[in-house]
Amino acid sequence: MTTAINADGQRKPPLLEIDDVVAGYGAGVILKGVKLVLHRGDVMCLIGPNGAGKSTVLKTVSGLLRPKDGAVRLEGEDVTTEAPKAKLRRGVVHVPQERSLFPGMTVWDNLLMGGYLMRNNKILHARIDEAAQMFPIITSRRSAHAGSLSGGEQKQVELARTLLFDPKLILLDEPSIGLDPKSRRLVFDAIRSLAAAGRTILLVEQNARSGLAASDQGAVLESGLVRLTGPAAHLLGDPEVARLYLGASQHARPSNNAPALSSALAAVAAPTPQEELT
Amino acid sequence: MHALIQGLILGVLTGGVYALMASGQTLIFGIMKVVNLAQGAFVIASAYLAFTLFTRFGIDPFLAVLITTPLMFCIGAAGQWLFLRPLRRENAAELSLLVTFALALLIEGILSVTYSTTYRSINTGYANKSFEVAGYTVSAVRLYGFLLSIALLGLLYGVLQKTRFGRAIRATVQNPQSAALLGVDATRVQAYGFGLGISTAAASGSIFGLLYPFQSGSHYDLISRLLSVVVLGGLGSIGGAVLAGIAIGVVSSVAAVLWSPTWSEMSFFVVLLLVLLVRPQGMFGRVERGAV
Ligand SMILES: Nc1ncnc2c1ncn2[C@@H]1O[C@H](COP(=O)(O)OP(=O)(O)O)[C@@H](O)[C@H]1O
Ligand SMILES: [Mg+2]
Repeated sequence: MTTAINADGQRKPPLLEIDDVVAGYGAGVILKGVKLVLHRGDVMCLIGPNGAGKSTVLKTVSGLLRPKDGAVRLEGEDVTTEAPKAKLRRGVVHVPQERSLFPGMTVWDNLLMGGYLMRNNKILHARIDEAAQMFPIITSRRSAHAGSLSGGEQKQVELARTLLFDPKLILLDEPSIGLDPKSRRLVFDAIRSLAAAGRTILLVEQNARSGLAASDQGAVLESGLVRLTGPAAHLLGDPEVARLYLGASQHARPSNNAPALSSALAAVAAPTPQEELT
Repeated sequence: MHALIQGLILGVLTGGVYALMASGQTLIFGIMKVVNLAQGAFVIASAYLAFTLFTRFGIDPFLAVLITTPLMFCIGAAGQWLFLRPLRRENAAELSLLVTFALALLIEGILSVTYSTTYRSINTGYANKSFEVAGYTVSAVRLYGFLLSIALLGLLYGVLQKTRFGRAIRATVQNPQSAALLGVDATRVQAYGFGLGISTAAASGSIFGLLYPFQSGSHYDLISRLLSVVVLGGLGSIGGAVLAGIAIGVVSSVAAVLWSPTWSEMSFFVVLLLVLLVRPQGMFGRVERGAV
């Protein structure tokens, strides 16, 4: 299904269509024809092993990387070649995998940078106040240097900053990576609140179980191709997905004679806290 | 003791001017990792501009700053757009050294053709005026030049800290990808940032022209001093450049008082080498990123 029927019974194109996108860095090809469809109000979790190209998918959507072939469409409009600035104006906000705050600037200045394209200060301040309801840290630590906040606090400020765009689509790349369990829970709570507020989110998570649990839809990316899509609950219940991507749960440990690839994937997806950070 | 304090006063006043010149150069490094070898040439070009505005139109060199500053900003932004922007990212750092050196030679050439190579100086009515304060002599030109430099450094700081453009510059320095993801156009920030860095040469040129005789080749000596100041302060750190400018000004004029003017000339490089032995990143430099 690539079209949804809206309240008036008219066919409306999906919010985001990634259509046979081929992309890579320099001459190399990482994405070999990725296809994904995301509807308004949905949260989709993209999972897959390290190096599969998940971050690259988000970069082609936000405009950081221009696809070599295929198309990216927003509400039916072809936006394949648009730069990040044009995408932002359409309401597409990308929170990259790497820390994205400006460490030497205060939390407040970081928020103001979120309003860089906004000429109307009144609206900006109103949106900051609004974002503070969900992320009180942006007022309580307003004058602190972003670099002095903990990883979890920084992530909250990053999430708060996306709200200043009143985003149509939020691209979240591994928001829980490198966080302690408590901060990780806060981040997933925040994602759920954003979803409850009707935001559309494309989420990339190494922490596949928590990611899928917070999502409506799921997709599996492997070696630059989408291998599987479906409702997140189905993916969570799928024994094959569980074995490959959800890590060893009580009853489904990967056996020692599992194929090399599978065990490598399971190792990657195992729910051990990953403290190393870029 | 009297001579020492007199030297200190002179050093602080001169150092303030070096601080202004160096702040622009270190800003440019912070934004685009370009060591701008043409900074000295832009200062000398500004000195000539002030010279012409004074001798032809009777405009005071301190007032001329109102004209030369925006002009230098535009020339700087255009120069970045024309000569530096096209460089391929992978080897931009090395190539930019050649490009800015070529730019310095181009400016020198234009100045030699326009003004010939004889030494010029700007002789205003107050050129030899000085104040007596508690037995110490303070030259009027040096005092005004120092005050103007400090005021402009304050203005530069305000622009960087409090304006939308300044925030975009700092953001680009600290995290270029993240700045782009928030809608900052890096090419524009670099062009305007280069312009801002060059614009500090305008007032510095007026003051330099009032203090010393100059000719088109004077930029070689100047740029080697500026490089010392910038490296000493830590590449990319404006606060560091200010303190290093004043520190070097003080050391060189105290050296002139205590030993000889030859030592004063050398002191820039001696201080630089000594500090770098202890702190290779400069007094205030951070090893990783610019501190703008
Ligand atoms: N900036 C880059 N330049 C060159 N290769 C890159 C770059 N970023 C990622 N890659 C490569 O692209 C592949 C996919 O990376 P990425 O999309 O980050 O994977 P994932 O997010 O799924 O872990 C990897 O092999 C990685 O080495
Ligand atoms: Mg990634």
